[in-house]
Amino acid sequence: MVGSPPHAVDLAALIAATMLPFASFLAILVATRGRPRLSAGLSIGSVTIALVCSIALLALNFQLAAPIQFSTRLIASSGLNIPFGFLLDPLNLLMIVVVSTICFLVQVYSLGYMAGDPGFSRYYAFMSLFTWAMMSLSLSASLLQLYFFWELVGLSSYLLIGFWYEKFSATQAGKKAFVMTRAGDVAFFIGFLLLFIHTGDLSIVHLNSRAALAGISPSFLTLSALLIFGGIVGKSAQFPLLTWLPDAMEGPTPVSALLHSATMVAAGVYLFARLFPFFSMSPVAMSVFLAIGTISMLLASTMALVSRDIKRVWAYSTISQLGFMIMALGAGGYFAGVFHLTTHAGFKALLFLCSGVFIHRYETNDIYELSRLGARRMLVPMVSMVLGAAALSGLPPLSGYFSKEAIMGSLSVLPDPVWLAAGLVGVFLTAYYSFRLIFILLLPGESEAPAGAPAAPAHESDESGHKFQDRVMALPLIILSAVTVILGFFATPLKHFLGASLTARGLAGTEASSWPHMAALALAVAGVSLAWIEFGRKGAKQVGFVDRIPSLYRLFSERWYIDRFYGLLVNVVVDRGISRLCYQNDKKVIDGSIDGICEGTVESGRVVAFLQTGMVQYRLLAMFAVLVLLALYFYY
Amino acid sequence: MQMEPASFPFLSAILLSCVVGMLTIMLIPEEKHRLIKQVSVVFSGICLLLTLYVFFAFNRKLGGLQFVEHVSWIPSLGISYFNAVDGFSLPNILLTGIVFFTGVLTMWELNTRVKEYFALYFLMVAGVFGLFMSMDLFFIFVWYDVSLFPMYLLIAVWGTTRKEYGAMKLTLYLLAGSALILPAIILLWAKSGLDTFSFVSLMHPGLFTPEVQKFAFLLLFLGFGILAAVWPLHTWSPDGHVAAPHGVSMVHAGVLMKIGAFGILRVAIMLCPLGWIYWAKFMAVLAVIGIVYGAFVGLMQTDLKYVIGYSSVSHMGVVCLGLSTVTVAGLNGAVFQMFAHGIMTALFFSSVGYIYDRTHTKMIPELGGLSRIMPVASGFFIMAALAGMGLPGLANFWGELVVFLAALKVYPLFGVIAVLGLVVTALFMLRVVQKAFYGPANPRFAGLQDVSLWLGTPRIILAAVLLIVGLCPSLLFNVIRTASVPFMNGLLR
Repeated sequence: MVGSPPHAVDLAALIAATMLPFASFLAILVATRGRPRLSAGLSIGSVTIALVCSIALLALNFQLAAPIQFSTRLIASSGLNIPFGFLLDPLNLLMIVVVSTICFLVQVYSLGYMAGDPGFSRYYAFMSLFTWAMMSLSLSASLLQLYFFWELVGLSSYLLIGFWYEKFSATQAGKKAFVMTRAGDVAFFIGFLLLFIHTGDLSIVHLNSRAALAGISPSFLTLSALLIFGGIVGKSAQFPLLTWLPDAMEGPTPVSALLHSATMVAAGVYLFARLFPFFSMSPVAMSVFLAIGTISMLLASTMALVSRDIKRVWAYSTISQLGFMIMALGAGGYFAGVFHLTTHAGFKALLFLCSGVFIHRYETNDIYELSRLGARRMLVPMVSMVLGAAALSGLPPLSGYFSKEAIMGSLSVLPDPVWLAAGLVGVFLTAYYSFRLIFILLLPGESEAPAGAPAAPAHESDESGHKFQDRVMALPLIILSAVTVILGFFATPLKHFLGASLTARGLAGTEASSWPHMAALALAVAGVSLAWIEFGRKGAKQVGFVDRIPSLYRLFSERWYIDRFYGLLVNVVVDRGISRLCYQNDKKVIDGSIDGICEGTVESGRVVAFLQTGMVQYRLLAMFAVLVLLALYFYY
Repeated sequence: MQMEPASFPFLSAILLSCVVGMLTIMLIPEEKHRLIKQVSVVFSGICLLLTLYVFFAFNRKLGGLQFVEHVSWIPSLGISYFNAVDGFSLPNILLTGIVFFTGVLTMWELNTRVKEYFALYFLMVAGVFGLFMSMDLFFIFVWYDVSLFPMYLLIAVWGTTRKEYGAMKLTLYLLAGSALILPAIILLWAKSGLDTFSFVSLMHPGLFTPEVQKFAFLLLFLGFGILAAVWPLHTWSPDGHVAAPHGVSMVHAGVLMKIGAFGILRVAIMLCPLGWIYWAKFMAVLAVIGIVYGAFVGLMQTDLKYVIGYSSVSHMGVVCLGLSTVTVAGLNGAVFQMFAHGIMTALFFSSVGYIYDRTHTKMIPELGGLSRIMPVASGFFIMAALAGMGLPGLANFWGELVVFLAALKVYPLFGVIAVLGLVVTALFMLRVVQKAFYGPANPRFAGLQDVSLWLGTPRIILAAVLLIVGLCPSLLFNVIRTASVPFMNGLLR
């Protein structure tokens, strides 16, 4: 199945939306490094155009019948035929709108957040790089092209996490993020190369068609699906490669909002949705994905229960929500997964940006500390954060309620009830940890600081600049809050829009019964209530139920010892084990033997040279010895 | 094989511009440093322009041998001065031109024995060019030694860390290599019965018996393999890299190691294809060990140049793996990777050279936080590291992609192991970047200058080439396949 040719308008919009951010990246690096304002202007200008183009594309193609494909051959050598180009279908139309919206809002917000940073231009250069890579990733027509930008997205993540490179923890986190996602990407790489060897075509449309995979054995299909899923596990921080994401919070908060919650980490889920028909041809692989999603979702929720770091709570929650999306997709709920991706991008970016306002103001990440300093007095971020947390918990009528409802719906059609049960537990935990944080922030404990204590004297000096910063940071919060409130009501048109392409591929959604929604809602309310009892009500000790069980608390706060395991792996096995062994082999065995041969040659030369020193005694001695030997020889 | 005679002897002009450059430098008085450097830039610039012309004028539709120059020299032995380019040698000639020119610019700040340095440098590069373009076995051997001999002096006189040891080790290893190559060449000459060293005449499938091919291939593979740093014959190369002055490291890692891989391709594989098929699996095993082993040893290093040296061992393993697959894709990927790796290491050494000239150290723990002080200089090194990790958008990605594709097809297990090596490569590259360039700025280096435009030129050129080839790989692939496709077709027939 080949898509219809694109219109010229579409093509122009696509090229503008992808290439302008790249141009701005190059321009900032080469020309405007010394002029921060110009750099920010370039970057924001390009992302604005990208946003306008994306919305125009969505509007123009809302009634899309078949995917539009436009491609040229990049390498056409024998044995390797790689199309590069654009693919347009409902999924990536939605995705580019999400990506460009969040990119735009975060870049505007960063004007305030990053003001005065010595690396301001560099920051916007990397932001443009990310925008380019992420937009191009979403629009890729082939798996190789997707991988190309997948790696570039990883690069921009590495650069942005380690943006404050003088901080050791930041560079360490950046490195960890890159290497861990690289581990997943290697599986992805092998997976798509194997697929290429066996099908000869990496075009996404082709892979998703049944005809392409007709001649392939089911076990090979499962193998390649699992390998490609490795990339998803890395990028979306799923079990067992999940520990890089909380560490990635070392980056600037807008970066966490953009890359590590709303868009980049969602690229994994996007890839799953992108190849959904392909993956769903292997039931074994699908159940593995379901299990991985469930494990990640539950593990990360438990980690969020005990964290005191505001950003880390949201980071664990991101892993757990991505787990929900993968569960939904693994259960066959295409719409539920994609819809949750969309709503999550909105409210999670909102949560991070709100946290960013607090962090920017009070310069701490600790929730108890923030509460003591009076975070609740900042009206706009606090209200927005409550909205975001409510959406995250799945309370109606916010967007998260609708998407979570859809997920529960898709889980409930599975024959095995255990997945639904796990999902419901997840809903409860989500509501609990979100409102634990909210109540701690809203209601400081007995150790409250005297009212009106000056919070951040550092910024007082420049009052007008301060005001501008506040405004520019508040605007995205308001927009995202509005999105969080209204997005849920677009569920039906979106389902219709996304479903149009899926039914065309013969994968109709199934109707679900309504009791799981009720249960989910009840559990969400229960989670909030428990949080209220433990952290909210008057006289609450602000000690959670997990804190009272020391063994559980340790397990959760040590992140189930997953990080310890990786630490040991790198330290003992790689550094002290294989590396040292190879190194010693190089020095002692290979070089040692070569040097030994050389020294042997030199030594033997010295022995011979000893006879040539010119002393008569030795000469005579040698002559005599030779004569004796000769005589003996001739005698016998 | 199709042969397209040259309308003008461009290839000889390339060689001549090196030789004339060398002679001119020798005529300039020793103390006129600036003039010597200017002359060097002019002649290497002419050389670069000529190679660029040859690269773009090469007819990609026609393929075969082009720019052919053929003069009989010693008819009784069948030795002739026979130069030509094909799809395999053309990327390497372009690579040499680029590295040559940027290598001269990198040594712009040299102050000791400037005249001798540049004269020897030109002589060495002349040997490299000659080897890449010669189609006569005898001349290939001669050029090999011409490029080798100045290397010893360049390292022993202008080098830094353990330079006598490094220079001697390198020379002994490479002479051992030529001791393996020479008998193989004589064997092929004798067994052919054609009384000729001409490559074109010797390249007939049925000319040598399988036994001769197997034996000669092994000798040639090991002989050239030393130069290509095939595991376990690699230890000379990191020591040599480290000891050499920066400009020489660039040529050494960027081009000289390619001579090894190119020799394997041109002489061993093309003359003894049956030996190639026989020993292919053996090659693949050594290559895969090299890829993984190089990366692991790289993790342990604390000297910037040693890190790059071991990354070269790993990357040249990729070239060797490509050659061992006996497929068109493998050959394409291997030659592409030769080019990409050459540019990448040149960028590495050029950056290290600049940094070393300022900080006077290349020990990673002593650096630290350079990004704050020299953001541009650090940026180039980081870019080379990213290329070394095989990041898309930079040239190395395509070479690795195509090689791994071929390897997974032919040797699935080895392919998987080699790809896993990418994780370790990423780890050690990122560690170096983190330790040397990130972290708080070292107060010792606080007053240092970042790169000025002129001193940055070599790295700007190299970085641009990495990016251009990375975004437009068909620029090279279209050339390489004019040689690989006919060769493999002929072999299968």
